[in-house]
Amino acid sequence: MDNQAIYDRLTEIFHDVFDDDSIVVTPELTASDIDEWDSLTHIRLVVSIERSFHLKFSAAEVGRLKNVGEFVELIRMKAAA
Amino acid sequence: MSIAEAPALADAATLALNELAEGHSASVDFTITHDDMRAFAVISGDRNPLHTDDTFARSKGFEGAVVYGALLVAKASQLIGMKLPGRDAVWASVSMEFRKPLYVNQAAQVEGTVAGVSVSTGMIELKLSVRAAGKLLAKGQAEVLLAQP
Repeated sequence: MDNQAIYDRLTEIFHDVFDDDSIVVTPELTASDIDEWDSLTHIRLVVSIERSFHLKFSAAEVGRLKNVGEFVELIRMKAAA
Repeated sequence: MSIAEAPALADAATLALNELAEGHSASVDFTITHDDMRAFAVISGDRNPLHTDDTFARSKGFEGAVVYGALLVAKASQLIGMKLPGRDAVWASVSMEFRKPLYVNQAAQVEGTVAGVSVSTGMIELKLSVRAAGKLLAKGQAEVLLAQP
C-alpha cells in the first residue's frame, strides 16, 4: 500500500471520527491542531485505524508517535510485514 | 432476578486486558418483572401501552405486554459492568437488533463474547445475544473501554 492510499483512507477515518470533513490530513498533523482530539477520540481514532487496515498495534508503538506522518510510516511497515 | 435485585458493586468482576482473549464469554440470567416495567416507564417516560397493557398488546398480535428493548440493553449493561470485563469497564458504543419480543416474567439470558481486543487502546469488542427458551430474541455488539491506571 503506498502512502497516498494510506492518507486517503486516513482522511476518511479522521472525517468520521471528528465529524469534520474540512480536516486535511498531512504528515505534520498532531493532536494540538484539532480541538476535539482528546484522549477518548484518540482511542476511537486508533481503533478505527486498526480495523480499517486490519492491523494491530502495541501501546508502545502508538505511544511513541509524534505526528500523523509517523503513524503512516507505522501503518506502512506493519502492512508490509 | 429482577432489576431491583441487581448485585452490588462489590460483586463486580475485574478482568484485566490480558484475561480477555477472543472467545471469552459470560452471561447473566434474568427475568423482567412488572415492577421493573413500571420503574422503567417512570424513568423513561415511555408509557406506550404495548409495554404497559397486556390487553392492548394482545390486540396487536403479541402474547402480552412486551418488555422494553432498553431493558435488554440494561441487562447487557449489567453483564458488562459486573462480569465482562466488570468494574473497570466504560461503554464506548452499543447497538442491538431486536428479533423477537420478550414478555414480562419470561426467563431470559444475555450473553457476551469477546470478538476483538485492541491492546494498544484497551478497547474490547463484544458480541451480544439475548435468548429465551433457546430462541434468539436480540443480537448486537458493544465496544467497551477498559479504564487502565
